[in-house]
Amino acid sequence: MLKVEDIRELIKLIDKSSINEFEYEEEGTKISLKKQIEGATQVVQVPAQSVPAFEPVPTVQPNQEAINTTSTSQVEDAVDQAKLHTIESPMVGTFYASSNPDSEPFVQKGSKVNKDTVVCIVEAMKLFNEIEADVKGEIVDVLVENGQLVEFGQPLFVVKED
Amino acid sequence: MALTMKKTKHKILDMLLKHPDIHLSGQKICDVLGCSRTAVWKHIKELESEGFKIEAIQKKGYRLLSTPNELSEARILVGLKTKELGQHLIYFDSIGSTQKETQHLAEDGAPHGTLVITSHQMTGRGRLGRTWSMPKGKGIAMSLILRPKLSINRIPQLTLIAAVAVYKAITEVTGIQTDIKWPNDILVMGKKIVGILTEMQTEGTNVKAVIIGMGMNINANKNDFPEEIRHVATSLKTLTGKEHDMSLIVQTILFYFEELYLRYLEEGFSVIKWMWESHAVSIGKRINARLFNGKVLTGLAKGIDEEGALLLEDDQGSIHKIYSADIEIE
Repeated sequence: MLKVEDIRELIKLIDKSSINEFEYEEEGTKISLKKQIEGATQVVQVPAQSVPAFEPVPTVQPNQEAINTTSTSQVEDAVDQAKLHTIESPMVGTFYASSNPDSEPFVQKGSKVNKDTVVCIVEAMKLFNEIEADVKGEIVDVLVENGQLVEFGQPLFVVKED
Repeated sequence: MALTMKKTKHKILDMLLKHPDIHLSGQKICDVLGCSRTAVWKHIKELESEGFKIEAIQKKGYRLLSTPNELSEARILVGLKTKELGQHLIYFDSIGSTQKETQHLAEDGAPHGTLVITSHQMTGRGRLGRTWSMPKGKGIAMSLILRPKLSINRIPQLTLIAAVAVYKAITEVTGIQTDIKWPNDILVMGKKIVGILTEMQTEGTNVKAVIIGMGMNINANKNDFPEEIRHVATSLKTLTGKEHDMSLIVQTILFYFEELYLRYLEEGFSVIKWMWESHAVSIGKRINARLFNGKVLTGLAKGIDEEGALLLEDDQGSIHKIYSADIEIE
């Protein structure tokens, strides 16, 4: 089994290498390391027109207690990401941030939301779908523009869950 | 109690409608329905107050002379040829917005086919917070609950089915041929007579309810409309010079809607698409599509795709899929 020193050595080596991700498994113990690359760990950098299925991937598996204590910033990062929830568009259509062009947006960065808080409307063929947050927390990012065409599954908001 | 009373009234109306050529004696009606002659008399008076013309001749009985053109709950329900749509009818003499009321009812579990209807809607609304104004008693505002077991991406097609049901019903009742402007405005000679707006209640990716709202201009005179919309709106009365039976129009829309809806569930969208395209005024013409951000796409309207999105070919030859826009025909 890997020792703390080994892992430290590994991190150094990977840091200097061109490898971005590293996984190692032995006797049910798994370690996975991921480099902090600009944009890669942030959902907000996802291009608006693409349809990524974003799932925050924890960099450390839960059964790896020994490693937990040693991995530094990456672990914290993973925990932070695990609490982030992405609200996706359930259909293709036009994204509206407010109920009509003259009114305030339903939510903005920093807005507190409950599960049933309406966060936006998506319209297609004069069918209006009020999208609810589905989680309790705070809006930390708005990923699309008012009036923009959104695809099925496209991330619209990032919510930091309470 | 109230419901039984209502049902007796509806049964009397049903009997009168089925025997337009003979007088039905009060006694006969009593015998069939098992109620008192006083009850029959009261119901007849009520029907008269709702606009039904009923001839009452001593020793002969009652005969229906005419039905009102005004919206009537009894008239919609008696002879409604649907299994579900409209059978759970909630009638208002006046209401702020049928759509809002129906949203609440749907949240509280109102069944598939529930219809909320009025001819006096005070705060109707359209797309993007626009208002929908309707002269009192001369138009129909109604909202229908559907609970389809379909995936979300198929729901927008229901709004096109609604348009097909409306044009079929209007032609059948009034003889007027109508056009559809994408996705579901009903026009005659370029002016709008029916607007349709649909809202959906979802839970994750599950569709809980679809609420289809329709506003219809039936018996309004030209001057009943606010001046600023007279160049874009019209009514069936303005076009034909006579008033139309609003309840019959509702009955007929519900009938066609149910028929098309069941057919759509069975066979898919292609049949509906064909019916829609055969009445679509913009297809094959040059149009301007005004998008929300103010951008205008100009080009040839080629048709709709399998989802119901409008296909527009611009002057460079590229095809744009349009999901929401205001369409003007050049």
